[in-house]
Amino acid sequence: MADFVQLVILGLLAGGIYVAVGVGFSLVWGVLNIVNLAHGALVIVGGYITWQLFAALHIDPFLTLPVDAVALFVLGYALQRGVINRIIRAPLLFTFLLTFGVNLVIVNILLLIFGSDYRSVTPAYSGQGLELGTIVIPYVPVISLGVAILLATLLALVLNRTRIGLAISAIAADRDAAQLVGIDLRHAYAVTYGLGAACAGVAGGLIAMIQAVTPTAGEPYTLQAFVVVILGGLGRVSATVVGGLAFGLVEAFGQSIPGSGSVFANAIAFGLMVIVLVTRPQGLLGRLR
Amino acid sequence: MITRTQADRRWRRVFLIVGGVVAAYALLAPLTSLDAAQAANIPLLADRLWFRIATFIAMFVVMATAWNLIGGITGYAAFGNVAFFGIGAYTTGMLIAKAKWPFLLALPVAPVAAALFATLVGLPLLRLRGHYFAVASLGVGVAVGELVQNLDFRGQPMFGGATGLFLPIYAVPDRDLFFFYLMVLAAALSIAVTWWVLRSRFGYGLIAIRENEEAAAVIGVNTTLYKVAAFTLAAALTGLAGGIFSQWNVFINQDNTFPIEYNVQMILMALLGGTGTVLGPAAGAVLLELLIQFLGGSLPISFEIPLVSDAARPIVAQVMLGVLLVVVVMFVPRGVIDLFGGRTRLGWAYLRRSLRETSL
Repeated sequence: MADFVQLVILGLLAGGIYVAVGVGFSLVWGVLNIVNLAHGALVIVGGYITWQLFAALHIDPFLTLPVDAVALFVLGYALQRGVINRIIRAPLLFTFLLTFGVNLVIVNILLLIFGSDYRSVTPAYSGQGLELGTIVIPYVPVISLGVAILLATLLALVLNRTRIGLAISAIAADRDAAQLVGIDLRHAYAVTYGLGAACAGVAGGLIAMIQAVTPTAGEPYTLQAFVVVILGGLGRVSATVVGGLAFGLVEAFGQSIPGSGSVFANAIAFGLMVIVLVTRPQGLLGRLR
Repeated sequence: MITRTQADRRWRRVFLIVGGVVAAYALLAPLTSLDAAQAANIPLLADRLWFRIATFIAMFVVMATAWNLIGGITGYAAFGNVAFFGIGAYTTGMLIAKAKWPFLLALPVAPVAAALFATLVGLPLLRLRGHYFAVASLGVGVAVGELVQNLDFRGQPMFGGATGLFLPIYAVPDRDLFFFYLMVLAAALSIAVTWWVLRSRFGYGLIAIRENEEAAAVIGVNTTLYKVAAFTLAAALTGLAGGIFSQWNVFINQDNTFPIEYNVQMILMALLGGTGTVLGPAAGAVLLELLIQFLGGSLPISFEIPLVSDAARPIVAQVMLGVLLVVVVMFVPRGVIDLFGGRTRLGWAYLRRSLRETSL
C-alpha cells in the first residue's frame, strides 16, 4: 500500500513537469495549428539559462524562472514573426519540417556554445525530501508541481482576462472572423508562440533541477508534450493539466513493472497515445471540434 | 507564348540529358575498380569512399521514393517510416546472425516483415488524419526502436540489445560493388513501382484520397484498403533497403537503423525534388545526400568554412542543414522539379510568390 501511495505521489510530481511542458505546446497547437517540433529545443534553452545563472551568479534556480520566461518569450515572438508566420498557410507537412529545422538549428547552436557536457543545477536542498513514515516527498518536484500549476493558472488568466488573450482565443475559434473584427493576426500569432515558448522556458528551468541538461535532452519532451496534449484533449489549459498529471502517473506505474525499468518510457507513452487516439480522439477532457 | 514553351522544353531536355549523363557516370564509374578494368589500364574513377557515399545515396533514393507513395501521392504525412527500415534491417540481420540463413534467402523476408508490420499498425493509424497521423507514426517509429533495443528474452537481449548485432561478412567478390548495385537495383525497383502506381487505377484512387478523402469514398474508392496498401507498399520498399543495409554495414544497432533524422531526411528529399512525381524524390535524395556529405566535409571535393575548427565542422553542417530545411520550406515548397516542369522559372518573382502564397 505504501508502495502504491509512493508511486502515486511520484507520478503526480513527475506529472508537474509534463504539465509545464504541455501547456505551451497545447497553446501553439490549438491556436496556430502548428505541431511545434522545436518545443523541446526551446525547453532546453530555458534549462541552459537557469544553469548559466545558477552556475555563474549562484541565483536560486526557482528565481531564474521569470528570466527563462521573458527570454524565451522574446525568442519565440521573433521566431514566429520572422519565420513561422511566413509559412503558416502551407500544408501541415511544411510547418512540421520548418519547426524541425528550427529545432536542428537551436540544438546545434547550443552544442557549439555549451558542448555536449552534462550540466546540472544542484541547489542545497536538491535531493532532500519530507519523510512521512515510509513515504518520501522530495522537495524540488513538489515545488515544481506548484510552479507548473501556477504557470497553467497564469496562462489561463492571460487567455481569459487580457485583451490579447481574448484576441488569441478568438483566433482559435475562428481565424477569419477574428481578422474581420480587426485583430492584428501577425502580432497575435507571434504573441501566442511567444507565450508557448515562455512556458517551455519555465519547464526547462524546472527540468534543469531534476536531470542533467544537454543540447539534445529536450527532444523526448517534444514527443511527451504531444502525448500529454492528446491525453488531455486539445484546446483548454485545464485539459492539459489533467493530461500531464495522467501521463506522469502512467509513466510512474509503467516504470514500476518488474523488468521494464525506465527504458520503455517512450514505448508506453506512445502505446497509450495510440490507444487514446483510436478510442477517444478528443482526449480525456476534450470536446470534439 | 510559343517561344516560351519551346524554351522551356529545351530546358527540360537539357535537364534530362544532364541527369542522364550524371546517372550513367555514377552507375558505370564503379566498374573501373574491377580487376579486369584495372588490368586494362582504365583509370580508377571511384574509390571506396565514393562507393560508400553512392550506396548511401541509393539507399536514400529508395526511402524517399517509398515515402512518396504514402506521403506524396496519398497525402498522409508519415513521420515514422524509419521503423520499416529498422524492421527490415533487424529481420535480415537476425536471420543471418542467429538463424544462420544465407543472405540472399534472408533478404526477401525483410520487406515481408516490414509490410506485415505496416499493415498491422496502418489499420488503426490511418484512421487518423493530419497532425495526429504524423505524430502517431513518429511515435511508432520511436517506440519500435526502443523495443528492439530493450526487449529481453529469458534474461538475454532479444535483438542484441544496446551492443547491437554483428553479422558475418558476406563472402562475395568485389563486395562494395555488389552492395552498390544491389542498392541501385532496389532504388530502380522503387522508382518503377512509383511509375506503375501513378499510371494505375490504384494510383488514381490514392490521388483522389489526397485531394479529398470524403469525395474519394463517395465515388467508390475503398479508402481504408487503398491507404493501408500504399502504406504497406512504402514499408516493403523501405524494409528492403534496411535488409540490404544490415548485411552491407555488417553491424546494426538502434542508432544506425532507427535514426529519427532519417524520417525528416527522406521527407525533405521528396519535398526538395517534388512530391507526387516519379523521379522527384530520387533527384532530391541525390541532391540532399550529396549536400549533406559536402557540408560534413566527407566528399573528395571539399571546402573550408571560415572561422570553424575541424571539430565543430559536423555541428556547423547540421546548423546549415537546418537553415536549408527552413529555406526550402519557405521558398521552394513545390520542389526543384517544379522549375523544370515548363510553367515556372527560377527568379526573384518565383521566390517572392512562393513566400506570399503561404504567408500570413
